[in-house]
Amino acid sequence: MALPPPLRTSITPAELELIACEQLVEIIPLVAMERTAFISGAYGPLRPPAKCKVPIWMATNLKLKKKCHIVPPEWLNVDFLQDRLTRETTQPEFSELPFRFAEVAKVLLDVASDDVTNPDKVRSLLQDIREARQSKSREGVSKLDHSELSLPNLCAMEINEIRPFFVRSMGVLTQLVRQPDQGQVDEMQ
Amino acid sequence: MEDDYYSVESILAENQKIQCAFKIDIADMGHLDGGNERDIKAQSKIQVPMWMAYILIYSDYAEFTIPPPFSARVRNALNAEARSVRLSSLVGQGGLWYGFGIMIMRLLSDVPAHELSDVLTKTFRSRLPEVIDQAHHFASIHGAAASASGSGGGTITSDEATMAFREGLDGTERELFVLAQDSARRTKRWYETSERTRRS
Repeated sequence: MALPPPLRTSITPAELELIACEQLVEIIPLVAMERTAFISGAYGPLRPPAKCKVPIWMATNLKLKKKCHIVPPEWLNVDFLQDRLTRETTQPEFSELPFRFAEVAKVLLDVASDDVTNPDKVRSLLQDIREARQSKSREGVSKLDHSELSLPNLCAMEINEIRPFFVRSMGVLTQLVRQPDQGQVDEMQ
Repeated sequence: MEDDYYSVESILAENQKIQCAFKIDIADMGHLDGGNERDIKAQSKIQVPMWMAYILIYSDYAEFTIPPPFSARVRNALNAEARSVRLSSLVGQGGLWYGFGIMIMRLLSDVPAHELSDVLTKTFRSRLPEVIDQAHHFASIHGAAASASGSGGGTITSDEATMAFREGLDGTERELFVLAQDSARRTKRWYETSERTRRS
């Protein structure tokens, strides 16, 4: 294969971000536009005072042209994230968060930080949550098994980060563990 | 590591030598030992590479002894603290300790093979978290070590321990180290770069 080794095992964060940008987000448009057909579907019509759901890529595009305000999703605020951070640090399992929260949060904070209330606090909370979850997934390494690993509520970005070496080390373990059926056959003989 | 016909690594792992005791005389093969003898005598012990040992053992021309990297002494050390054993010095720099172990395991009969599999699995699992941890924090460990040596003689013992562990990684662990390091670096870069400039 012509791909460099790191790209063979997983996709890049930028690609994940692209996928996440297909998700719908609410905007308050500042311009009027008729319902328009795109490859991924038809969105609109935009009637300025009314809210409208469009994909994130379209929302960011309009936002950068100052043609809309983005309504942040209900989980992107200080209270919700603070609650999740408390759960994350007090309970052993991963707390429930939207599957692509890392990507969506980053894009929205990059482009529309003026639409998010208290963006700096949200940023630092997201950072704390990320670190808390990272240390948990590191614990998961020690529980690694050759056949399965269950880490519920892990998110797209986190899965992608640990995928290359988890997959590889499970492959190694598979080879190190002696097949039990082989042993049984030997015993029967 | 993989038992794959096209895997260069598995070919390299087969280059490890194991000691075989021949059961029969073999004429005109004395050069294998590098000595001056013309023939191989029965009972003589000769180091042969793995790829040759297979056929000798399966044809019942020779018996083999468990090679030193998997001796009782090493096993005891691994049992005591797997992370303080230098696997790379057991099989040579960049050697494949696990790959070699798998080959030996396949040659052994049931019970010892099972024991060896346990040793390999336990060692791998107890060393893996440290490998991943160091890969993730490689930059900071390195930075700390550099500043410690820069400040003049203030060497930290834990730094030396991590350094020693890293040098003791076997080929397979090195590969995992690089994988973990790369993915951590890529994700970190994504988190830290702002896309705003690219978008506008």
